[in-house]
Amino acid sequence: MAELLSGSNLERVLAAGKFAVTAELGPPMDCNGEVVREKAKILKGNADAFNITDNQTAVVRMSSIASAFIILQEGLEPVMQMTTRDRNRLAIQADILGACALGCKNCLCIAGDHQSFGGAGRLKGHPGAKNVYDIDTIQLISALKGMRDDGVQQGGDPIDKRPPLFIGCAWTPMGDPIEIRPTRLKKKVDAGADFIQTQGVYDVEAFKEQMKIVVDMGLHERTAILAGIIVPRNFGMLKYMNNFVSGVSVPKELMDRMKAAMKAGGDDKKQKRINQEEEAGKITVELIQQCREIPGIKGVHLQAIEWEKKIPEIVEKAGLLPRPTFD
Amino acid sequence: MIIADQKPVAEIKGFIEGKKKVLIAGCGTCVTVCLAGGETEVKNVASALRIAFKNDGKDVEILEDTVERQCDDEFVEPLLARVKNEGFDAVVTLACGVGCNFLSTRIGPVQVFPGVNTSFLGSNEAQGDYLELCAGCGECILHLTGGICPMARCSKQIMNGPCGGTSDGKCEISQDIDCGWYLIVKRMQELDILGQYDEIQAARDWSKGTHGGPRRLTKETAAMAAEDDAAKES
Amino acid sequence: MGESGSKQSLDENLKAPCVAACPVHTDNRRLTEYVAHGRYEDALELTLSVNPFSSVCGRICSHACEQECRRNNVEKPLSLRMLKRFIVDNTRDYRLARRGKIKKTAGTKGKKVAVVGAGPSGMTAAHDLAKDGFSVTVFERAEKPGGMLSYAIPKYRLPYDIVREDVDDILALGVELKTGFDVGKDVTFDQLKKDHDAVLIAGGLFDSRTLALPGMDADGVILAMPFLREAAEGGTPVLGKKVVVIGGGNVAVDVARTAKRLGAEEVTMICLEGEDEMPAWDWEIQETVEEGIRISNSWGPTEVRTDGGRVTGIDFKECTCVFDDTGRFNPQYDESNTCSFDADNVIVSIGQQADISCVEGSKVKIAGGTRFEYDRATLATSEPGVFASGEIAVGPGAAIEAVAEGRRAAQAIAHWLDKGDVASIPGTDMPHVGELPERVAEKVIKRDRTEVEFADPVERLTNFEVIEPCFTEKEARQEAARCMSCTLGAVVDEEKCAVCLTCVRVCPFDVAKIEKKAVMPADECQACGLCAAECPAVAIKLERWGVHEMKNRIAGKLERLGGKPDKFLLGFGCLFQAETRDALQNDPAAVKSDGIVRISVPCTARLTVSDLLAPFELGAGGVTVIACEGDSCQYPIALDRIERRVKEAGGFLEAIGVGADKIQLMKTNGPAETEWPKILSEAREKLG
Ligand SMILES: Cc1cc2nc3c(=O)[nH]c(=O)nc-3n(C[C@H](O)[C@H](O)[C@H](O)COP(=O)(O)OP(=O)(O)OC[C@H]3O[C@@H](n4cnc5c(N)ncnc54)[C@H](O)[C@@H]3O)c2cc1C
Ligand code: SF4
Ligand code: SF4
Repeated sequence: MAELLSGSNLERVLAAGKFAVTAELGPPMDCNGEVVREKAKILKGNADAFNITDNQTAVVRMSSIASAFIILQEGLEPVMQMTTRDRNRLAIQADILGACALGCKNCLCIAGDHQSFGGAGRLKGHPGAKNVYDIDTIQLISALKGMRDDGVQQGGDPIDKRPPLFIGCAWTPMGDPIEIRPTRLKKKVDAGADFIQTQGVYDVEAFKEQMKIVVDMGLHERTAILAGIIVPRNFGMLKYMNNFVSGVSVPKELMDRMKAAMKAGGDDKKQKRINQEEEAGKITVELIQQCREIPGIKGVHLQAIEWEKKIPEIVEKAGLLPRPTFD
Repeated sequence: MIIADQKPVAEIKGFIEGKKKVLIAGCGTCVTVCLAGGETEVKNVASALRIAFKNDGKDVEILEDTVERQCDDEFVEPLLARVKNEGFDAVVTLACGVGCNFLSTRIGPVQVFPGVNTSFLGSNEAQGDYLELCAGCGECILHLTGGICPMARCSKQIMNGPCGGTSDGKCEISQDIDCGWYLIVKRMQELDILGQYDEIQAARDWSKGTHGGPRRLTKETAAMAAEDDAAKES
Repeated sequence: MGESGSKQSLDENLKAPCVAACPVHTDNRRLTEYVAHGRYEDALELTLSVNPFSSVCGRICSHACEQECRRNNVEKPLSLRMLKRFIVDNTRDYRLARRGKIKKTAGTKGKKVAVVGAGPSGMTAAHDLAKDGFSVTVFERAEKPGGMLSYAIPKYRLPYDIVREDVDDILALGVELKTGFDVGKDVTFDQLKKDHDAVLIAGGLFDSRTLALPGMDADGVILAMPFLREAAEGGTPVLGKKVVVIGGGNVAVDVARTAKRLGAEEVTMICLEGEDEMPAWDWEIQETVEEGIRISNSWGPTEVRTDGGRVTGIDFKECTCVFDDTGRFNPQYDESNTCSFDADNVIVSIGQQADISCVEGSKVKIAGGTRFEYDRATLATSEPGVFASGEIAVGPGAAIEAVAEGRRAAQAIAHWLDKGDVASIPGTDMPHVGELPERVAEKVIKRDRTEVEFADPVERLTNFEVIEPCFTEKEARQEAARCMSCTLGAVVDEEKCAVCLTCVRVCPFDVAKIEKKAVMPADECQACGLCAAECPAVAIKLERWGVHEMKNRIAGKLERLGGKPDKFLLGFGCLFQAETRDALQNDPAAVKSDGIVRISVPCTARLTVSDLLAPFELGAGGVTVIACEGDSCQYPIALDRIERRVKEAGGFLEAIGVGADKIQLMKTNGPAETEWPKILSEAREKLG
């Protein structure tokens, strides 16, 4: 086995040629660390690493570094997410150094939803905020790689103890303009992305096609691509994602399945919910299995937004347990 | 040109509450063209203010004046003289922020209030329709992006876009806003220079923009020698 | 013809074609503007200022203005003559009162002018000279003044009292008129000359031309002029059943129609010219045909058949060609093709000629035939101090041409009397814009020409009553609205123009453009004023139909109404919706009781946002803009523009706490007479 870059659990799983599983853990909108710990307890052992979102959908939440530290204490491995929206290059690097000092080993570089999102309309958020975008995701990847591999800060000053980071980023395979997406992935890989978590995949066929191009470009050898799976909790959510989430399209057949599940509940609200949640589990497991078969895919990244407790069941049903361990 | 948008007249009224004699000053250049602060808008704002104060039972004299440009001494001087000679106790300028600054630093102890929100550098797409096209960032990178500016037209000012938020050519923040990077990619395809897109653009040096502190530009070859300038003045 | 092409802004020399075409250059655009504003008296003053025979022209003018009107490029020309008639017919009381106030200026200068002939030319010259202060005496052979207007043009087209209206105004200036006075008989020309400082010969074309044909001396052969003269004097020349009129001009038409009215059963006009070449106006021919008169073209008379000294018929040969290559009258015949008409009377109407007996024995040189030596530029004859004008000098034409020549003659004589020499007097040519470019014409909203219905052809043949009714007020206003304001459109103040392109973008006629600064070519602009109302630099003014200084106008109106009622309601309405001028007026008593003040503008889309706010500054409680609904508006997009402006003004009012609901836009197709009161009183009620 080649020398590890960070020695993170996720890196090890991938290096060992195992099918990796990551899952998302959303911090609360207050300073209640217990919430994080609770979620950590539920998720523990069900994935190789856990993404801690960074003010997701532009809503203020407990910082990803602090949350990451909490789950470290709980014995989980965090993937600290870092948006370029909220911090300039100074703040980002300072936070990275701090996070590494606390034991974080994975970092996911993302642009972050624009502040005008404000929790996708459900919350107020901070649409009047001034965003930063001092550097973009690709520049952030380069900066982290420079810190780790060359021992220099982005501005050129030296770093004695280099941060051992497993550098990741997101990728929207079916985003618009679709023809540019593989190239953009290549730019990320060229910049130094060690692993990729994709935007949620529902349209497996389309994803397959994009992956074929990626494989032809040899990118799957240079980075580990984890297919993003967003657990579709109910019909409404599927519809929302199909209509409003960029780069996500839900095939009609999936929509129909979920709709049928909902309808089967008749007038009984509770039954409706139960039916849909059951169907959601089934769909998710199927998606995982389908993605797993796509050449070039090295794992899955599961997002059960504010529904983390569903993860263990899904991972189990998908036959992904137990997760490998290393000593 | 500079695009501005008129401030709500209620806000303007709030600025000058308690004043006795106020000059509404228009500018004949950019803000005239973008229908925010030319003579016509001056008339409208002045009229609305007169009605408002009259209804309040307040005796406030609101007068009007419009000069060619509020960012040049030669044009502004008559305006300043008028303010002084006729005893105005406030000025509301419908020029862009430049005009408001310019007047404020020359007018003495009379407060100058902004009557417009200076919005951006943009184009006139159609009658009454303006579009931001340049961010005035201080170091133009349009040669890298097919002539379409990611600083002005990408919501996240990404240098290596587009982000994952593009859909149907629109930006993630609104269906009414074109994705700058979508336009850039399409333009590069049209020009057959998409190859350039492969290159990673390094982090920008923002010091050329406002982040480097207030900017001043001196074109040495055009500037007057200090003594000539003084001679001209005397 | 004059020059054409685009000009940046209004060039005094670049007139509308209607103005240029009129021999006295009546500014028809102002005339129509006054009519739209209900200023009929001002319109009368305007026409009288250039044309003392305005009443006459309202009836019989051959209206070169209409032939040239650029509405021809859209659908049909404006009915300008009829508008003139409307103006004079509807201002009689005013005119009478005005006549009482006319200053007797004649004789204030102490030089005396004799005018021979009281036709339009002589009387016009007398008018201008009297205004100039000269003492003028007009000598007229006939018993009544007016020349051909009174003695040739039939009454069903021009009653004598109409001629008299114009003549009386002229006489009011102190012009002396001696009728029944034949110069040459009652006084020698030399004596006349000796008694005056200058003489104008304006004797017209008194005699008919005749034909040298076998049988011409037979009983029943009549010449046009004596025939018409007799009819005009109220006589009833005895005619047989069948009448043949020889000639194809306007006089022949009048002869034929008069003959029919005098009882002839079968009237046939026979002329040399082919159908398309006939010198008579199209509309005259049409009316003639309506009256059952036959027209037979391309025949030249060869012999009057007689029996026992009485006419029995007349023979013709075919005329194959009337004019030669150079356009000269040179008829060619086909002797082999002949025809014959039975007739009880043959009336010869092949042209008129001067009777120059008045100068017999004087030193005025004769140029040959019935013409004397005469210089068109100076209007002088060979004899110092003797001038000539009208048809006797320039040959047959329209009455308005005689008027125009009369005006020139007055100038020539005034110059002679003031300076002692002759001067070249400018002619009546005037540079003007060309046709309306197709690009613009196709965007102009089409509006049917307003036509009046003539008296029933059967009915009208029984008498000499006027056959054409006047426009009603509604019709006149509707017709006036069709005027496109040629060359009186938008003008840019280049100093102020910010080249913002607003005008270019809003102009519905694709007229405004940029040439360093904004330019609205005078020959294209429709004067809709939309650009002016939107210009952010207040850089555009309208030469016609502008609504500049609206705030002052409203203030002035309020003052004239005797102060402003508390929280009054201002109603802006479109002039073109009013069928009567009464609708445009404010009755001070009504204003006092209902607090509604009306301001009418030529299209409400000319109002700027500050125009809409101005009433509030002046104490209005509310403003209601009444716009024309749908395609009843003159101008494309106007409704949309005023809607937006009302909204903008409403935005201001809302922001200052007055409330956007205090200004509203209402749409209606009118008429103002019934719709405005409804709309305005409802608005008034809402206001409380
Ligand atoms: C039948 C007819 C119909 C017409 N219809 C129209 C029409 O519809 N529209 C239009 O625009 N024009 C029309 N015209 C033309 C118009 O009438 C003439 O152009 C105009 O009248 C000419 O004016 P004048 O002043 O030159 O001469 P006249 O009108 O002929 O006036 C000359 C006057 O001089 C008098 N006179 C002559 N010799 C002497 C003398 N020795 N002593 C004293 N007085 C003398 C005559 O009696 C006469 O009254 C028509 C003409 C005719 C004949
Ligand atoms: S449209 Fe009006 S201005 Fe133009 S030629 Fe006709 S009458 Fe004259
Ligand atoms: S908008 Fe109307 S007034 Fe202005 S140029 Fe066009 S036609 Fe003329």
